[in-house]
Amino acid sequence: MTATSSDREQLRPGLWATVNERYPGSMITKSDLVPLTKLGKPLAASRLTFVSTAGVQPRGTLPFDVTHPVGDYSFRRVPSSAEPADLEIHQLKYPTAGANRDLNVVFPLERLRDLVAEGAIGALTPDVYSFIGYNMDPERLERTLAEEIAAAVAADGAEAALLAPA
Amino acid sequence: MTVARDVTTHLKPPRAVFVPFMMGHHFGVPFHRDLQRRVILEALARLTRAEQSGEIHDIPVTWAQARREGIAIEQAMGLRA
Amino acid sequence: MSLQYLKDAAARHDAEALIRYVRLHLGDGDEGRGRREIDKAWVEALKPLLDVPPTDREFIHETLSTKDPATLAHLFFDLHFYLVKRSGEWIHDGNL
Repeated sequence: MTATSSDREQLRPGLWATVNERYPGSMITKSDLVPLTKLGKPLAASRLTFVSTAGVQPRGTLPFDVTHPVGDYSFRRVPSSAEPADLEIHQLKYPTAGANRDLNVVFPLERLRDLVAEGAIGALTPDVYSFIGYNMDPERLERTLAEEIAAAVAADGAEAALLAPA
Repeated sequence: MTVARDVTTHLKPPRAVFVPFMMGHHFGVPFHRDLQRRVILEALARLTRAEQSGEIHDIPVTWAQARREGIAIEQAMGLRA
Repeated sequence: MSLQYLKDAAARHDAEALIRYVRLHLGDGDEGRGRREIDKAWVEALKPLLDVPPTDREFIHETLSTKDPATLAHLFFDLHFYLVKRSGEWIHDGNL
């Protein structure tokens, strides 16, 4: 069967408009583009990190705060060696139907490790990073959470990052 | 990675890869290792291939096909009748 | 709603804007559902008390008299989610 152009468009159309109508001012808008920095060496020789808003965290750690009306501005380190069974999701605002059966659909640690084993990726940082995307204060998100994760990623010696909002 | 092109257009990350998948399913469907792997590799390829900041690269996949393939994989694994 | 939007609404005593936000939050993005969820939480709060079992009033009294208002308000949100989860009907599937 041939894919039509509509099959290639976003599954949930008008997301930006919907979120803005419901939660005015909660979304981050940038007017400028960030200059592109090319990776200085092959991916196969680079150390990669992963940053996710999926609310994935090691089992038994303080759950992300999914009830606070203004959100949770903390992040968790997740060992890149963690098995899916060691992890759990605390986040209400995206569909977790797939992730509940195979975490790799939103937090693909096993696939990333496969790619390291194959030599396609040089290495993973010891930890990857996770937070929840339901936050009503985008200015605080940028000023605190984003900066804290960026500092931690840099301290880990990451040369590239894969970012996946949930 | 994005499943919301309109949101990404406002956010203007230097590199983005769009997949027409359900929210929370950026890397595909359960147990579909090949698709999960392919999405990651296509995203990481932008590290060296992206030429212009702000470009959103489309991965030529569809949700319907991903789901069909996922169902076939689960049937082969005995997870689904 | 951004935090500033909510603060502005609070400053002008715009209860409609504030409760709309609460309903959206509790209703998984659906205001009508949020309204029903609030009712559901109160029904769930009432049900365990109908047989009048002993409850830990010292705990309640001490919590209310020693904890700060923000912690108690936060607890109120947590209790809402606790009660609706107990109902067995969990609407939060994350589908916008």
